[in-house]
Amino acid sequence: MAVLERTTARVDSELSEGGDALTIRVCGNFDFNVHREFQRAYQNLPLSPKHFCIDLSETYHLDSAALGMLLLLRDHCLGDVDDEAQCTVELRNANDHVENILLVSNFDKIFTIR
Amino acid sequence: MFEKFRVLIIESEGAEAAKLRQLLRECSMGEGGIRSVETSLLATPADALENYSELRPDLVIFGPCAARVAGPDDLQRLRARAGLEPVPILFVKSERETLDSGCLQAGCDDILLQPYNVNLVQLKLAALQRFCEFNRSLMAQRNRMRRHHADLLKEQASARQIFDNMGHESCLDQTDAIRYHLSPRAVLNGDVLAAAYAPGGKLMMLLGDFTGHGLAAAVGAAPLTSIFYSMVPKGFSLSHILRELNTKLHRILPGNMFCCAVMIELDPHKKYVRVFNGGMPSVCLRRRSGNLRLLESSHLPLGVLEEATVEEAIVYIPIEEGDQLYLWSDGIHEARNLRGELFGEQRLLQAMATPVADGRRFDHLLATVHRFSADQHDDLSLVEVCLDMAPGPATTVAGNAGASQEVIRVGDWAINFTLGPKELCDADPLPLLHGVLAQVPGAANFQDPLTIVLGELFRNALEHGLLQLDSALKQTDRGFAEYYRQLHSGRRALEEGWIRIALRCRDRDGEGVLEVEVEDSGSGMPEQAAAGNVYSGRGLPLLRAICRDVHIQSGSSRVRAVLNWGAVSPPTAAPASRRRAAKS
Repeated sequence: MAVLERTTARVDSELSEGGDALTIRVCGNFDFNVHREFQRAYQNLPLSPKHFCIDLSETYHLDSAALGMLLLLRDHCLGDVDDEAQCTVELRNANDHVENILLVSNFDKIFTIR
Repeated sequence: MFEKFRVLIIESEGAEAAKLRQLLRECSMGEGGIRSVETSLLATPADALENYSELRPDLVIFGPCAARVAGPDDLQRLRARAGLEPVPILFVKSERETLDSGCLQAGCDDILLQPYNVNLVQLKLAALQRFCEFNRSLMAQRNRMRRHHADLLKEQASARQIFDNMGHESCLDQTDAIRYHLSPRAVLNGDVLAAAYAPGGKLMMLLGDFTGHGLAAAVGAAPLTSIFYSMVPKGFSLSHILRELNTKLHRILPGNMFCCAVMIELDPHKKYVRVFNGGMPSVCLRRRSGNLRLLESSHLPLGVLEEATVEEAIVYIPIEEGDQLYLWSDGIHEARNLRGELFGEQRLLQAMATPVADGRRFDHLLATVHRFSADQHDDLSLVEVCLDMAPGPATTVAGNAGASQEVIRVGDWAINFTLGPKELCDADPLPLLHGVLAQVPGAANFQDPLTIVLGELFRNALEHGLLQLDSALKQTDRGFAEYYRQLHSGRRALEEGWIRIALRCRDRDGEGVLEVEVEDSGSGMPEQAAAGNVYSGRGLPLLRAICRDVHIQSGSSRVRAVLNWGAVSPPTAAPASRRRAAKS
């Protein structure tokens, strides 16, 4: 039994004025529990953005389910454009722990990590 | 449509009881939206207890006389009889009586005031009925969830059973060199461990961790193990198997699922181990001296991208006696203690560095993690491999099978096999050749030496004959990776050239002789290569140990090896016995 108190996670998103850049911020633990909110943040937008920025500055922990969600986001944005270079997904401001998880999985090879 | 609302009245005074009954009847006839009430009457709490299960009341009312004498014990017993279903208990009291707080200490839930006010009682009954209905639906949901959960556990048990059966192909339990701990829940955590011997006595092992939990993760392991167990015994190379796993998993798994994996290839003849780590926690190599080396993840997990470039991520490590390799899933790193702290890599490395008696390291690691996280220890996977292990059992069989080989017909046959540039670009011809040779009479007992010889000669022809790669590169780790990069790109760019493999078996008075001749279209071996430098490290001594004769001629691109079909000395005998001698 998990003895930890579950911290409730939250997903915020912000679309740039032109609608071509989307910033998604995941606060708390980035895991399976936020998958609906995370997908809702980028699906069903009137115009699909070209630049995605995932702000991890307030993400404490990230598990393999979250890595899977990032892959889905990548598929989503690559699926919409003909040329891969037109579309970017950036992972920003990860703390050491989260960055380490991303690096162990070699996600730096398919995402830009800043 | 609704069941009646069952009220049990406990009252010893007949007149009071009749008044209560009348009150309830009036309430249920009114417009308050309450269900019709069915009353029953008993004189004492003892009577009530006796008839409780038959009456199954939704509400219990103690009349004024009964309430006066009721004690906490009576109420407790009634509540115990009601079980999980909360049945409210009301006392009838006069307003004056309620001023005395003592009357509430018996533990009733609420009071009906005397003289009765029909409207207020009706309101109260309606509220209690809603409460009961709410509770009943809650209980129904709980029961449904229990059933679903029981079904889920049953399904998971079936999944486990399937996995246990699939694991029977593994060689994990056939050797002392491997110790492993897989948590009972590991299958449903998505952890999977597979190990098998490749031809030539090589050990291949894979520890994988699928994203997610539960059945989806467990199901993902099925294609993984089936590919592993079908490709390894056929002699496919480490990178070939990894590429195949990656492609299959990419195709099969949904977009958010993938598999972190460590795969190792351990060659006990040539004394090296090759390690691939895609997304798993660092593998730890522990030298006999106690030095630790971490082999961190250098590739995306399997199934993420359609095409994987695994060659560059494979690390080559020469091994010495006493070296050990430790593999683990992130269950160990993420084990938490009661304060919520993670076990983490630091504590793990400390446990790796602590001096313990030989052979006790594995138990020490497990014990340390268990002590740290008392209540969640069944979430982790740990594997220890002694790298100086004896080669696979297949080799030993070849050595011991001398007696039975005599009765097997040796045969008289020849095979010529020529590979053009297209074939050499990508394909690995050895598994195909093994497949053909496996059909030849007596070849099954002979598979390992033949695999080694064919492998060595073919690689020599390809890497040095055709591609002119420099073995000297392989002397450092980085050089090794570079060598494989050059090999890979060189093969891709091949436009001409060929390699011919000729096998000829003859029966000489019941003793068979097998000639293996490998020739390539390259310019032939330079002078010093003929002296033996062409084979990096242990290649040539290994060949000489296995074969009766090895012909290498400078200036020629043809190498001929002759094997005794009948009485070949197993190449493992020497190192294995040396190992035993060293220990005793």
